Amino acid sequence: MNSKQYEILALTLRYWFVFLLAYIFIQATYRTLRGVMSGKSNRRSTGNIPFILVLFSLSAFGLLAFRDPSGFDKDTALLGVLVSAVILFQFYFLHYVFRGMDEILLLMVYTLAILGFVVLQRLTPMLALRQLEWFAAGNVVLFLAIIMIPRISKPGRLLAPLMVLGPAILFLVAFFGEKSGGAASKLPIGDFSIQPSEFVKVIFIIVLAYSLKETQTFRQRIPPLLFAMFSILGVALQKDLGGALHYFLVFLFMYYMATSDWMLTAAAGGAGIGASVIGYRLFSHVRVRVEAWKNPWADVGSKGYQVAQSLMAMGSGGWFGMGLNLGEPYAIPASRTDFIFAAICEEFGILVGGMVIGLYILILIRSMQEALRAYRAPDMLLASGTAISLAIQAFIIIGGVIKMIPLTGITLPFVSYGGSSMIVSLSMIGIVEGVSVRNFRTAREEEQMDETDDEKPDEDEDT
Amino acid sequence: MKHIKRNVRGSLFALLGLFMILTGYYFYNLFVYSDRWFSDPNNTRIKVDMENPSILPGNIQDRNQNVLVETKSTIKKDGKTTYYRSYRDDCRYAAHVIGSKRYGIGAEVLYIRYLLGYNNNLLERIYQKAFLDQEVGNNVILTIDMQLQKYITEVMGSQKGSVVLMDPRSGEILAMVSLPSFNPAQENEEPGEESLLNKASYGRYPPGSIMKVVTAAAALESGEDIRKDTLECKGSTDVGGIRINCYGQEAHGTVDLPRAMEVSCNAYFANLSLDMGWKQLRETGEKFGFNKNFLFSDIKTAKSQLPLTRNTSRKELAWSGVGQGKVLVSPLHVALIASSVANGGEMPNPKLIHGIQTRNGTIRYSTSHGTLSKPISPETAGKLKDMMIQAVENGTGRNARTSGMLIAGKTGTAETQEDQNPHSWFMGFAPADEPTLAIAVVLENAGTGGAKAATMAGKILRKAVRLGY
Repeated sequence: MNSKQYEILALTLRYWFVFLLAYIFIQATYRTLRGVMSGKSNRRSTGNIPFILVLFSLSAFGLLAFRDPSGFDKDTALLGVLVSAVILFQFYFLHYVFRGMDEILLLMVYTLAILGFVVLQRLTPMLALRQLEWFAAGNVVLFLAIIMIPRISKPGRLLAPLMVLGPAILFLVAFFGEKSGGAASKLPIGDFSIQPSEFVKVIFIIVLAYSLKETQTFRQRIPPLLFAMFSILGVALQKDLGGALHYFLVFLFMYYMATSDWMLTAAAGGAGIGASVIGYRLFSHVRVRVEAWKNPWADVGSKGYQVAQSLMAMGSGGWFGMGLNLGEPYAIPASRTDFIFAAICEEFGILVGGMVIGLYILILIRSMQEALRAYRAPDMLLASGTAISLAIQAFIIIGGVIKMIPLTGITLPFVSYGGSSMIVSLSMIGIVEGVSVRNFRTAREEEQMDETDDEKPDEDEDT
Repeated sequence: MKHIKRNVRGSLFALLGLFMILTGYYFYNLFVYSDRWFSDPNNTRIKVDMENPSILPGNIQDRNQNVLVETKSTIKKDGKTTYYRSYRDDCRYAAHVIGSKRYGIGAEVLYIRYLLGYNNNLLERIYQKAFLDQEVGNNVILTIDMQLQKYITEVMGSQKGSVVLMDPRSGEILAMVSLPSFNPAQENEEPGEESLLNKASYGRYPPGSIMKVVTAAAALESGEDIRKDTLECKGSTDVGGIRINCYGQEAHGTVDLPRAMEVSCNAYFANLSLDMGWKQLRETGEKFGFNKNFLFSDIKTAKSQLPLTRNTSRKELAWSGVGQGKVLVSPLHVALIASSVANGGEMPNPKLIHGIQTRNGTIRYSTSHGTLSKPISPETAGKLKDMMIQAVENGTGRNARTSGMLIAGKTGTAETQEDQNPHSWFMGFAPADEPTLAIAVVLENAGTGGAKAATMAGKILRKAVRLGY
């Protein structure tokens, strides 16, 4: 296929991609809203979303396989089949093993992941394969989390070591980490490097969820508060501004939700604002970020370069995008990680970009719904904490890429390239799903108890 | 448990609110700014590789369809065809409007979406890819008239400054000249920074007395009856404890509003702005577009400023009313203010694209006239128009007078630095009863508005009428 033929195909298929994603998005939105309105859980009502998802992945990878004028690229096409197979296997495996898992939530996550695979493959051939490996590993963690979470009733003695371990790792990285892009947040292990602040995020949420209680005295709250403070400090010392902001906001939300303590939440919020003002005064790289946010066009050559490139990419896309492989996302810095949202907007268009934001909103709503159904306070905090963490992470990076807030480099969950981010994001979804499974089981037990009380025969309790 | 549940729900709503803002910001910004981001000269996606272009950029023409810029081809020694952008020599009369790829300014960059055919529908794009050997973009037809551009450039000679001539009804810009200029056709010329700046839209000048039209509009719009307000002008008058000098210390005697406009009495307008206060002046000024980011579809322009706040000193306020102090405007904005008075209070949306000519020659004329805003009521516009007619007939703008056509206008003499001549301003429209032309002239350090700018505006308006506008 020559390049003109490819261009025609890509130009036409733009509409097909938008259609498929819009179909998934609208289906999921409709089902979520119906669930919210009726108040009943519709965890298993997924319609034909898995099928459409596979259709999207096959057609996108199929198109990419034609992009080389020299001939059909079998590797890309096979990768498309592999992605589809992995997604279908993961989904139906979990579907049959766990009753009571929120399946639309899982499918939203998979939609984002597939979009990520397509963009990564388009940017660097076979990069999607690496990402798929991380995705599979993440799914194993997700599976383990769904098994573990319903079994934890009292973390007891585990809590204290975790409280020390989290900040300790962060400080270790801050002092011995590998420097990249101004931040020292990576730790080299063998051939690749991991980003421990991602993994500690899970510890952070678990510890806060189990250690904060409403009926505590202030003295009892001191250990979790100290833990949170040192964790945030550890990330800040790594000069990872986005990460520190993320940790801080998650802490604020979780602390307030657990304790209803307005006073301290407001004080901490004030301290956070104070710290950012001091940071602005003290550190030149913070000032540069803020200047680039205020007017990236003032210095397109250096300071405003990243944001300006991102805006130009998004402006070039139009409603339906430039067409897969017809844009120039290479011009965007870090287009595989932090700026992947701009790369999506460029080639898939403004509408798909809006749907990506919409998918994060749906993930947030569904996870929070699950949190609200929980029977125990720690479960509630676990599910809502992870949901908030994912939502804030998406908000910080998308807001930075579209110049709504100053840019701080963190990954877009499920989409950006990176093993640590992918595994941790999926394990967080595993936590939410674990809570969901536990809710389902508890509800079923209560139902059975009621029924035995009333001496009625068992009925099928399928939702 | 109950509290946690409530808090979880509260947090969910807080985050949903944040995400709503994010979504709104995302769609709003991409809707409003995406064309500008796309046509940014730093965007590598619009750079055309002239050796082997994927799409040939279209022509740029003036409103009479004279070709100004086109893509030409040459055959190199090795038999390969290469292309280049050919600028007609006439381009130097409209250098800033046409612009240049090299300097990243003007239509060459701003209208790249049309020149490269990105605005074409899917069928046309597929047809071109499937059946044409070389894809071509569209031709852009500008609203400017090269005869006028040339005339104005020649009349201005070596004078620095800018002229904007537009049709107040449709907002079509008939001429937009900024001097000093450069010649896009000259590849080896190295124009200075000043020559590359389009002063018509990016120049920010103190408006001087033409601001009095805005001050008068604010006073008339305030609803208070100011017809009988008079002031004894002594050339150097004490207005509420502030000493206001009229130009050349000329004493105007007892003046009311129309008379003050006619003779351009600073004391009267300083008094007027002190009477109505900063709020009213800023409100009307902002309705006229001061302190606002103009987001015109065809032109990028600087923000005009009227920095009045609660903390503005009385002296600053008094001088703002006569267009000195910290007030700054662009000539294009002044032409828009003149247009709104000419139009009965409706400010048109300025246009530089007359139409887009597609590959097979059909022209789609731009249909998006429409009004930008309605800064003043038709009654106020009528009163201002009468005063501006008098200012030309009997007042400071006498030099703009023409036999057979009634011109309305206001001169301005904007003081800059102590030791330099003031900028010479004229804003106006013609014919006054049925305006088809609105003009803004600024001549840097050329002296009084009545002497220089008014004379030049009269000449330009006569020429435009002779050409049939």
